[in-house]
Amino acid sequence: MATEILSAEGLRCDGRRPQEMRKLKCELGVSEGADGSAIVEQGYTKVLVSVFGPHECANRTARNHERAIISCSYNFASFGAAVRKKKMTADKKTTEVGVMIQNTFEAAVMLEKFPKSQIDIYVQVLQGDGGERCVAINATTLALINAGIPLKDYVCACAATVFQDSVLLDINNLEESYRGPLFMLAVMPQTESIVQLQLDHRLHNDHLDKVVRETIQGCRDIKVLLDRQVKEWTVEAAAAYEIKPRV
Amino acid sequence: MATRLSINEIRYIIDGVEQDFRTDGRAAEDYRHVELESRVLPNTNGSARCKLGKTEVLVGIKAEVVDVDVHAPHIGKLVITADCSAVASPKFVGKGSEALENDLTNILSFIYHSTETLPLKELCILPGKSCWQLNVDVLFVQCGGNLFDVASIALKAALHNTTLPKVRVSGEGIEMEMEVADDPYHVWKLDVSNWPICITLYQIGCSFAVDPSEEEVACSEGYVHVGVLPSGDVSSMEKSGAGNIDPTVLLEMVEVGVRVGEDIHNQLDKQLEAEKSLAKL
Repeated sequence: MATEILSAEGLRCDGRRPQEMRKLKCELGVSEGADGSAIVEQGYTKVLVSVFGPHECANRTARNHERAIISCSYNFASFGAAVRKKKMTADKKTTEVGVMIQNTFEAAVMLEKFPKSQIDIYVQVLQGDGGERCVAINATTLALINAGIPLKDYVCACAATVFQDSVLLDINNLEESYRGPLFMLAVMPQTESIVQLQLDHRLHNDHLDKVVRETIQGCRDIKVLLDRQVKEWTVEAAAAYEIKPRV
Repeated sequence: MATRLSINEIRYIIDGVEQDFRTDGRAAEDYRHVELESRVLPNTNGSARCKLGKTEVLVGIKAEVVDVDVHAPHIGKLVITADCSAVASPKFVGKGSEALENDLTNILSFIYHSTETLPLKELCILPGKSCWQLNVDVLFVQCGGNLFDVASIALKAALHNTTLPKVRVSGEGIEMEMEVADDPYHVWKLDVSNWPICITLYQIGCSFAVDPSEEEVACSEGYVHVGVLPSGDVSSMEKSGAGNIDPTVLLEMVEVGVRVGEDIHNQLDKQLEAEKSLAKL
């Protein structure tokens, strides 16, 4: 098991170095029916997010007169995991992830601009190979940008684990399942403020500082890639109107 | 998916279909541009993505070895499940999509349940004991009308690239053992030359059309699903939706359905063959 996670030469099971992130591919505006949508692929993990809104609150009792509310639903496709998972509605784990994403974006979206409204975020994991929550957060950032909803900053997320004193960034399914610490961080890169932090299993106090610093760096790297894609998409979208934006 | 149309718009659409010239210039028998991508999900045995108009579908097929059905001990199993993702519309959150999903699952299972037409014998491993069960998951990522046809096209493409591990059967009688190959290249593919696709014909006014847009669906009364085999035979048929269909119109519908179905099979087969030459597996 030990050699599977990190070999003697310092390579992980998929050939990456400890601080190396998986290949990131992203695209905005993939779903025509939604107000905003995006697909992000990190390694073999692929997540599609659709955003609807801001629109009138569906539930009048939940309406807030000062700011918009966010409603989030997280779903994992049946064919997404290595072992087929039959669809379960309102599974405790998926509801929890939905609430986590909702809380994350309540901190990042400028909700005061849309009082009494609702913004819906729907996450569909098409393929899961570790780090689905992080890829979901990254895809949601892009989908919100695609929908034109104002954000305070990008929200970028990255998961890490510690193995034999090395921090492994952007972990895949195998690395998630070896029972080491599972550390997930969602960060607004410009201010470096932590929006979401989750740790499962045990992490030694000595490693905490290193893990936080390296994961923040991982999030910053993700932001660069997401930003590049947003600029590309902006230029393309503006070209349809014969506008040349300054990016 | 409910579109609100004025009386004049409805009249315009119905007149168009009856005169074989629809709002987007198509004839009643014309399909829109179909976009198909195969092997999009590495976690599955076979997969495909199909986009037609505003509908986009992802089909993933995962195979597992199960016990045979007591009533059918020499054939394998096919289980189809439809799932409408919330990503497609806010209406599909939680239980909102249940009605549509049940409808889709039932119709698709019906099209693909005929044991005489489908080569399910191939899926049998140990007659009377074990067989392959293909779990077909159809995920609707965008819903914009004509869901059944898109799903069946994607399903056929996914079946075409489904690879199953070879199973080595040894021993005799009660001691028969099977060993599923571990090697990812030690696989075999299904023969999809006799799998049907679903063509749905919608009755609009006194006439009918295939592949309607959302507005055209809103003007339709009743529709017929026809399961068409590549040979041009009809494997199954079902009428759905509210509305009466005239028997003579029904015969014409089936005729057109078969014609369109054969054409789609031809084009689909050509594309899938071309794709096979690109990948060496």
